[in-house]
Amino acid sequence: MGGEEATDWKIGVDIGGTFIDFCALETRAGRVATLKVLTTPANPGAELMTGLALLAEREGLAAETVTRFVHGTTVGINTILQRKGAALALFTNAGFEDVIELARLRMPDVYSLFCSRPDQLVGRDMIFGIPGRMRADGREETAPDRSAVAEAVAAAKTKGAVGIIVSFLHAWRNDEHERAVKREIASLAPELFTFTSAEVWPVIREYERTTTAILNGYVHPRVSVYLAALEERLAAHGVGAKALMTKSNGGLMNAAEGKRNCVSMLLSGTASGVIGTAWLARRAGENRVLTLDVGGTSSDFALIIDGEAQFGTGESIGEFPLYIPSVSVSSIGLGGGSIASVDASGVLRVGPESAGSSPGPACYGLGGEQATLTDAMVVTGWLGHSDMAYGQLAIDREPARAAVSRLAEALRRPLAETAQAIIDIAVSELFVEVEKLASRAGVDPSEFTLLPFGGGGPMLGVFLARELGMARVLVPPRPGVVSALGGLVADLRGDFIRTVFGDLSADLLPAMHEASAAMAAEARAWLAAHGHRGAADLRFSADMRYGGQSHEIETALASVWLEDDDVTAIARAFHGTHLKLFDFCDESSRIELVNLRLAAIGAGPTLDFPDEEEVAAPAEPERYVPVSVSGAERPVALYRRDSLRPGCHFRGPAVVAQEDTTTAIPPGMAARVDRHGNLHLESAE
Amino acid sequence: MFDRMTLRVLANHARAAAENMAYTLNRTAHSAFVKETEDFTVMLMNRKGETFAVPMDLGATWYPGLTYGRVIGMIDDYRPGDVAFTNDPYSGFVATHVPDTHLWKPIFHNGEIVAWAGGHIHNTDMGGAVPASLSRALTEIHQEGIRFPPMKLVNEGVFDEKILRIMSTNVRKPDLNVGDIRALVGALNTGERKALAILRKFGKEAFLAGVEALLDHAEEQARAMLRAMPDGCWEFADYADEDSTAANPCRLKLRLTIAGDTAVLDFTGSDPQLASALNVPSGGDPRHTMLLVGIYYILYTLNPKILLNTGLTRPFTCIAPEGSVLNPSFPAAVGMRSLTCARLRSVIFGGFSRAVPHLLPAAPAGNNCIVNVMTTDERTHRTVIAAVNPVVGGGGGMPHRDGTNGSGADAAYLRNTPIEITETETPIEFLKYGLARDSGGAGRWRGGLATEMAFRVFAPDSRVTVRNRDRSFFRPWGVLGGLAGGLSDMIVNPGTPGMRRLGNIDTTVLQPGDVLEIRSAGGGGRGDPREREPWRVARDVAGAYISAEVAGRDYGVVIEDGLIDETATAARRAAMRAHEGHFHFGAEREGFEAQWTADAYDLLTAILAGLPIHWRFFAKTEIFRRMEGRAGAAGVTAALAEVRARFPEMPAPELPDAEGGR
Repeated sequence: MGGEEATDWKIGVDIGGTFIDFCALETRAGRVATLKVLTTPANPGAELMTGLALLAEREGLAAETVTRFVHGTTVGINTILQRKGAALALFTNAGFEDVIELARLRMPDVYSLFCSRPDQLVGRDMIFGIPGRMRADGREETAPDRSAVAEAVAAAKTKGAVGIIVSFLHAWRNDEHERAVKREIASLAPELFTFTSAEVWPVIREYERTTTAILNGYVHPRVSVYLAALEERLAAHGVGAKALMTKSNGGLMNAAEGKRNCVSMLLSGTASGVIGTAWLARRAGENRVLTLDVGGTSSDFALIIDGEAQFGTGESIGEFPLYIPSVSVSSIGLGGGSIASVDASGVLRVGPESAGSSPGPACYGLGGEQATLTDAMVVTGWLGHSDMAYGQLAIDREPARAAVSRLAEALRRPLAETAQAIIDIAVSELFVEVEKLASRAGVDPSEFTLLPFGGGGPMLGVFLARELGMARVLVPPRPGVVSALGGLVADLRGDFIRTVFGDLSADLLPAMHEASAAMAAEARAWLAAHGHRGAADLRFSADMRYGGQSHEIETALASVWLEDDDVTAIARAFHGTHLKLFDFCDESSRIELVNLRLAAIGAGPTLDFPDEEEVAAPAEPERYVPVSVSGAERPVALYRRDSLRPGCHFRGPAVVAQEDTTTAIPPGMAARVDRHGNLHLESAE
Repeated sequence: MFDRMTLRVLANHARAAAENMAYTLNRTAHSAFVKETEDFTVMLMNRKGETFAVPMDLGATWYPGLTYGRVIGMIDDYRPGDVAFTNDPYSGFVATHVPDTHLWKPIFHNGEIVAWAGGHIHNTDMGGAVPASLSRALTEIHQEGIRFPPMKLVNEGVFDEKILRIMSTNVRKPDLNVGDIRALVGALNTGERKALAILRKFGKEAFLAGVEALLDHAEEQARAMLRAMPDGCWEFADYADEDSTAANPCRLKLRLTIAGDTAVLDFTGSDPQLASALNVPSGGDPRHTMLLVGIYYILYTLNPKILLNTGLTRPFTCIAPEGSVLNPSFPAAVGMRSLTCARLRSVIFGGFSRAVPHLLPAAPAGNNCIVNVMTTDERTHRTVIAAVNPVVGGGGGMPHRDGTNGSGADAAYLRNTPIEITETETPIEFLKYGLARDSGGAGRWRGGLATEMAFRVFAPDSRVTVRNRDRSFFRPWGVLGGLAGGLSDMIVNPGTPGMRRLGNIDTTVLQPGDVLEIRSAGGGGRGDPREREPWRVARDVAGAYISAEVAGRDYGVVIEDGLIDETATAARRAAMRAHEGHFHFGAEREGFEAQWTADAYDLLTAILAGLPIHWRFFAKTEIFRRMEGRAGAAGVTAALAEVRARFPEMPAPELPDAEGGR
């Protein structure tokens, strides 16, 4: 194949905590290239060029043959985690300066007298109350006080603000006050950038809208500088394709949009991981999947239902909630680096303390002395038979044994038992979080397939699946680069929202028509600006609730219901969704329609990843390694992932080693490789 | 004996089961009380009805140490699929006010009960004299709604529809009650399923032993913490502003004795049971969960790894004499016990602050006002009833940071409602919702600021109720040189000639255009304010958390045009006098205690304890009335003589021997 046709590379690149991951597909020959390179936090973007150079060298990937370049960056989220964002001022209604500090009052650690809220990204002295008031129905009560704005601009400049967030009450209904103040600021201080809450995300609820606008402004300077440099670097390197950025909603946008709409990329890394797994699961014929990504300090979970990622609002960025549509991911502070300890009454715990990536687990030999989960995996023998992370980490068994031995002595138990207990406890910590996620969503995990990815997912996946009563586990061919793959296969996706807020009835239709028409026009323009030529896929939904409830649920709407004024169909859809989520509905109750939403989707190119006919055959182990299984050490088959061809099969216990991860397969599991290279593990009991 | 090394695995599975129950209930409940306010609990219990697992994510914080043993025993012949319930505070002292409906379900394995699933919901209304069934002014339990003694609600999986019909006939929002109760039954079924899955995983014997090991482990953790505290005996008292419509203070007193790994909490000397709904029905249980909520907070704060279950209550013994506000006799009203419980927590915090001052914060604001408005929508002419934001004060200054502003400490579970949502749904307009400057007690670590909320109504005869109002007279105390926090307040039309201060009143009627301002108390300060770094003080001034005036007066930091005048600050600080004594209570309490000295109040409570229960509150009110111009124990003796002269029918109080340890 190939030859006469020009090569055509499409690349997904995702920056994580420690590594930058590449997943590239050459579409003519159907060749896949993957790569991991250590990040260069001091010079974000430099590692990207290193990676492209390595791909050119190893895979012959020429810059000018790149026709799609999708990038996920952590610049935004790191800016927040490290608190290195822009000095901002907030202009808001006088009398409501503390809205962002009070937030929604409730704190996570309710039993602690020391519970507290995070320090805000805008200091209290940078919040300026401007007299002026818009009423709930969108009528002006008092115009914003122009002299107060002028004083606030002068004071903000004196205090070093480089940007101003403007957020006024009821801007979701009428944002004229915000726009007037923005104009005023532009005339007084054109050097300051300004975002209004309604232009970032025009939704009802002042705290949620304001905090979203603040996050956007806080990361804006760094993100836009980064993206400008990225575009320059790519151009200088000869990459012709325009960079696309991954978003928290699992979709893509171009760099120009990313420079303004920075808030929408903050959770893109975890979102792309879920998009990647959803794509892998669909290809493998699985449509109900629980994803598990185990990192050094934390683990992420997500549900894929009917082949689709789930969306939510109120996901967390560090200490802050994010209220724009995001792929739902649950997180727990437990990972390979979590430290095991014994308390005074001889009870063993794992976490919440973590050795992180520096010094990391004892077995990394980088100075870590405390026993971690990874060390326990090494001591039992499941890990450590080959280098990890594309040869960038060598495992040293001795420090791992020494670290776990210290705990074993404190417990007066054998070493292997202690190591196994550490693994069991870690798995039970993950179990709690998955059970919570499942009961929130009202699903039974035993009906799902577990899809572990990331460096540590396949190490723990089968153990967790067993605990949850899940019979099936699917390990993708390259678990370490799933987020990069997720970007590569993602669609363009823009989200739009209008708060309508009224009882669902014929009286509300004019407002609904106006909102949906405005959003549809915006959406089409958005897709056009992104160079999308195909049909626009516009998906309407509505946030609704029964009168008296305070949280809405999102219900998908057929656009024909809006066109035909079919209020009954909309109500029926809401009752049905309520029944599905909450196990009851109340057809006699008044329904409030709060927001109309529109997701505009521009499908990405159809990518043909290579596959290979399955030929049933027993797999050949490379060798046997000693592993402690159910308390007894025994020789266990070690397979090289590269050598497992489609159709081959084997049984646990087994270890599958590959350059980006190690899969631990306890006894009682049957393993089979499918045509796409996925490893299917199924309980044979 | 369960393998300690892997106890954590069992603890996690048990917690997962409890979280599952909580999410199931929260997801399927109907009322805002359960869904949004999260006024519910769920738990798994051992065969004796002692809680061994509770959720940490959702729900109220009061019941991890609850035991259902007493009510379980009031029903016999449990069968698989049965669910029993009660909401009667005087049947077994599991329910603690009438809206709280507790359910419990036996978990059977091979025909034998191996555990219990239980939980409660706060019903929006249980009937009775007032909507929502709660008012401080009520005086007997019969006014507080319909009560169901312990009985089966579900028989072998089938609801007793008769009971639901009786309830529905007597309450104001029957659909919400029934919907929530069904949701709780669903949660108990989830708990049963999950508990049996745990049993299958570990085996029956290991499960039973493991559950006991969880309780034992919590007990060991609590004992280890007590052992690390010095032995000794400390007294502390705090006051609720008003005991009833009689409007005298209500004192709660604690004598805390720590000896080795045990502690005794003796509440003798607290007020008698009151002719209001402020009583806390504990039944005199030495480990009643309502008496120990403050303990849960302290233990968890000092060791966040502690398992929250009944085991941690074992080292503690409470003494709450019968006929007192903390152990009222039937039929005393109990609906508003949450106000008293807030004060009870601050008494426990104060007692432990004496024992381990370096570890604990100053007093939290301790008044969690729940605000409801009933008004008319001028567009539709319909009556609108809405819950507006809770008005909550800050936490106390901590050993390592400032108190959390505008809620925190033991009020962190409350949520607010967006202004934009309230204004769109309810015809009121907010003028302010934020933090009240200068309301946090000064200290090395400042107390958390109070919340201040003001809104305007548009319709005549708009009625506002502000439940749990307190701390309008007795301030949240500061410690170790820190000053007391600001007082709560409620004002109609502030800053206008028609301004009205409402004192401690918790309901008011507003007319068109009236503005109501509600302010909570602030948290107490911790440590000498002169030790607070001037830059922090300056930052507080720049952020309007404190005024420049208070910076100078309370902190000795002189700020001119936003800049610290270091010379003037040094001079001012050198000239300032530190506050002596462990606590700072503020002028109001100091003034009150100049008249009502500790001896005087001790004598009063001793006199009242020597009277038959039905005389006590009457006698307290009459003695208070005659303390005008009197002070101290001698004053009380004189007032008592006058009361006895006026009411010769009153029996002679039986006084304990005079030495009494003092």
